[in-house]
Amino acid sequence: MPQTDIDPHKPIKVDKKTKKKKSDAKVGYLLVAPALLLILAISIWPVIQSFYFSLFDLRLNDPTKSSVHLDYQLDMDRYLQNYPFLIGAIDSEINKGNAAGDLGEIKATLEELDGRIQEKPKAAENYDLINEKLDNFENIPEDMKYVEIEEGVAEDLVTSVKDINSELKAINGAGELEQGDKIVGLSSSLNDIVVEPNFIGFKHYKDNFSDSRMWKALWNTGVFTFISVLAELILGLAIALLINKAFIGRGLIRASILIPWAVPTAVAALMWKFLYDGQNGIVAKLFADVGLVEKMTVLLTTDTGAMFSVIFADVWKTTPYMALLILAGLQTIPSSLYEAASIDGANKWKQFLTVTLPLLKTSILVALLFRTLDAFRVFDLIYVLTGGGPANSTETISILAYKVMFSQTNFGEGSALSVIVFLCVAIISAIFIKLLGSELIKDGSGK
Amino acid sequence: MNKKAGPLFYVFLVLFVFVVMFPFLWMLASSIKPLSELFGEKAFSPFTSNPTLQNYVSVFVDYPFMRYLWNSFVVAGITTVYTVLVASFAAYAIARLNFRGKPIILGVVLSVSMFPQIATISPIYIFLKNLGLTNSYLGLIIPYTTITLPLSIWILVTFFRKIPFDLEEAARIDGASLWQTYWKVIMPLAVPGIFTTAILVFIAAWNEFLFALTINTADKFKTVPVGIALFQGQFTIPWGEISAATVVVTVPLVIMVLIFQRRIVSGLTSGSVKE
Repeated sequence: MPQTDIDPHKPIKVDKKTKKKKSDAKVGYLLVAPALLLILAISIWPVIQSFYFSLFDLRLNDPTKSSVHLDYQLDMDRYLQNYPFLIGAIDSEINKGNAAGDLGEIKATLEELDGRIQEKPKAAENYDLINEKLDNFENIPEDMKYVEIEEGVAEDLVTSVKDINSELKAINGAGELEQGDKIVGLSSSLNDIVVEPNFIGFKHYKDNFSDSRMWKALWNTGVFTFISVLAELILGLAIALLINKAFIGRGLIRASILIPWAVPTAVAALMWKFLYDGQNGIVAKLFADVGLVEKMTVLLTTDTGAMFSVIFADVWKTTPYMALLILAGLQTIPSSLYEAASIDGANKWKQFLTVTLPLLKTSILVALLFRTLDAFRVFDLIYVLTGGGPANSTETISILAYKVMFSQTNFGEGSALSVIVFLCVAIISAIFIKLLGSELIKDGSGK
Repeated sequence: MNKKAGPLFYVFLVLFVFVVMFPFLWMLASSIKPLSELFGEKAFSPFTSNPTLQNYVSVFVDYPFMRYLWNSFVVAGITTVYTVLVASFAAYAIARLNFRGKPIILGVVLSVSMFPQIATISPIYIFLKNLGLTNSYLGLIIPYTTITLPLSIWILVTFFRKIPFDLEEAARIDGASLWQTYWKVIMPLAVPGIFTTAILVFIAAWNEFLFALTINTADKFKTVPVGIALFQGQFTIPWGEISAATVVVTVPLVIMVLIFQRRIVSGLTSGSVKE
């Protein structure tokens, strides 16, 4: 097993019996099991389900599309809200002798259809129960409401119901019926009793890939991630190099570094919204005074201004964290290396290039990996600070996915977007892990 | 590198701390201004001649802010206790027991910690909605596992590995069972690591926004970050109250960070873990 290379401190059990080893393994799996099961159930399974949802036309505000179904279904609720009354109305017309012949035929067809529906065990089972509930004005539970039917049956139902509807319309048009409009209305309602499967395959992906809003959001996410992470890296490295020495007040520095990291992003975003405010924001005024922006209002009301504001706030919040990670890496570099380098006549810059940077490579890459992924899935900061505006200029892919899911309640398309985010994140991680090699997992097993 | 720090360095230090802390200081200054001084010319003055606590009173009287604090506290607290417990078992096994597949397990833990939350939200939301768990504490505690469990396993594995292996061997030779070894020998030594992990998990759960925003929409179950973010009405933003609320949230954090800074830094850098 490769784990032998990874853990240098693994207990050496040459003298132990294999039995002991086996029981060790058993306990090991037992101890890991709860955590793994939780991760499987609450992280991995939902991602798979997100992908599954993305293949359906899933809309929470539309009762016929509020869950995924691959089969044709019969809406018993709707059916029983109309069928008995339609039969009743037709009967009363027949009794009065209005178009009795035609109506008699239609009634027979309807009753035959009803018989076919009641052939379904689930429909028959719940038929009277649902009727009873409807009489009492109760809501029908979801699992009772829908009965699965075969595609052929579904098509038959749809065509028969349509035929009946047009026949009734014709009879009503001839003016022979007393309650004609009511009858036509009831039979029209029957047109919607069959719920089609909402499986649509990769349509959401196709739509998204040809949607300029999606590409804009992806571009915004890329710009935000690249600029903010780059700025954080340069500033973080500079700060780490500067404070990597003995001085009075290290504690104070450490604390002030940690505070922006510890404060909730949503609260930090709100703070910056106040500071950037076009009328009363102090930072907006400072930027305008030094000529960084033309007017105070530029910051939150123009495209580039808003993107700059969001990136600036992110850099403020996470540069300290970056500095902290790099500082930890710096402190593992033995000073003897610098002494040797300076004896060899290397100047400060040369030392930085030949000693510091190569030895920091892993720390920097790990910090970059975590920061890039974090920046790529940015949500809170932008949601609170700009809401994605103005005119979607700061709308990132996570924000777009959120809006599609929770404002438009289009869960199918939103899931497709979130799968796109997931794939991007996977690609970014793969690139970094390739660069890092096995260092990442090794890093955890260090000292 | 133990270079001496010059006076110029201290100037830089003071400047650095000031820039980092500036937003907080400004919020503090604004929070005690009367409403009229939050706008117009006086908005840019850091000082007020009429300090008032009106904003603080309003935060607690006009908004259910106490409720938000309590909700955050309950959700973050329970999440911390249960995740750290589950994670400590797993981390102990990964760090100190011999069995196949450990690198794979660690790999899974690491990749899950990189999952974007948005990719799990639609199934989790629908699942919780069907169970009637939206607008409840459990509705947040369950999804927070996604964020906190991989994080705690990752940090704890590093801590468990630092405990000398001889101790365990000695205990076992003395006839202690694995369970006894865990509770009597390893646990006491792991307490600092577990405590550090607990702090980081608590902060992560306390600060979470996306799940809290979508799952608990009723005022009664909102957490602090969502509560404050939704202070802003459609047309007006009550900046006075927001500044006061920000100060109320930040001050305990500052105190906590001052007390536990060493632990937090060691936790953050041990596995090079994300926030």
